[in-house]
Amino acid sequence: MATETAPASPLSPAVFSILFSLAEGEKHGYLIMKDARSPEGGGVRLGPGTLYGSIDRMMRDGLVEESGMSDDERRRYYRLTKLGKSVLAGELARLDAAVKSARRMGLIPHGGR
Amino acid sequence: MMTPDRLEAMYALALGLYPARFREAYAPAMRQSFRDALEDRGLARGTLIPLVFRDLVTSLFKEHFAMLYETFGRPAIIYNALVLAALSTGLALALNTIPQQVLRQGANDPQIQMASDLAVVLDKYGVNDGLRQGALINSGGVVDMDRSLAPFLIVYNDEGQPLGSNAQLNGQTPTPPAGVFDNVRQHGEERVSWQPVPGREHGVRIAAVIERVNGTQPGFVLAGRNMREVEAREAQVGQLALLTWIGMMGVILSGTAVYGWWTRPKAA
Repeated sequence: MATETAPASPLSPAVFSILFSLAEGEKHGYLIMKDARSPEGGGVRLGPGTLYGSIDRMMRDGLVEESGMSDDERRRYYRLTKLGKSVLAGELARLDAAVKSARRMGLIPHGGR
Repeated sequence: MMTPDRLEAMYALALGLYPARFREAYAPAMRQSFRDALEDRGLARGTLIPLVFRDLVTSLFKEHFAMLYETFGRPAIIYNALVLAALSTGLALALNTIPQQVLRQGANDPQIQMASDLAVVLDKYGVNDGLRQGALINSGGVVDMDRSLAPFLIVYNDEGQPLGSNAQLNGQTPTPPAGVFDNVRQHGEERVSWQPVPGREHGVRIAAVIERVNGTQPGFVLAGRNMREVEAREAQVGQLALLTWIGMMGVILSGTAVYGWWTRPKAA
């Protein structure tokens, strides 16, 4: 049952990478793991246990939900909820502020990633 | 080299180690994700297997801990257990304190009556004259305060010096602290637990009742009795109260565990 309470910021790397991956649309478990592993997705190496443990808690927090879509009996697809989108936006804004601050301090070159 | 089917079968076996609720909800999907990872040509087997092994160990620990928390750590269960534990602790303390007080008060019998009776006689004749007339009759010989449980009497003059006694401790008649006599002067009577030889860990302790003697030759009458037997009973009461408390805690703990397990969140 979703409790509809946003988790405390900053989000854990696993939660952030799952939310970030699902921001593109509905995905099943391995696609989320693959996205999270890529440098663009945060470079987080998730195993199935960590992935589904996180998804279980995120579903209870109301951040993600099962889409009901399935191309295989064992594959389950997930998508972001409204709260999930809002939490992801808040986390991205927090990270963006940190990056801008780092740029001002010269820790990251201007225009660089 | 192991085939993907064999690796998947081993992984499926390992999934049996997860808590039932988690396993029922996610094991097929986890197995499929593992299968997908095995079939991903962009992910080397040498990278995947250690990753999955580490993930298995850490997530098993995490999910079992989460299951324990969901089963036994729910606020309502903790709150109920704490309330019951507090009530049981209060009850056990009462079981310890009330009988001990009753036993201690009972230890002043028959000294209250003995001190009072002798004080009435000495009020009339005075402590010196009264003693000369045999007011303190030593019918049973001298009581050894250390070994005997028999009650005894001691008469002191107004300065607190012993004048007569039917009891001795180490060959002498002991005297209570001067403050005790001052209290008796003010209040007429005092009931105290008196340790005639202070500092000894297992020294003799006396349930003493001290009465004021008024009249022309004032003084004090002390009636006392060794508290050894009463203290042994008090210790037994304390042990019984402790055993009762441990028993109640055990019942609360096991009851909470059973209730927590019975009402645990089930798989969706």
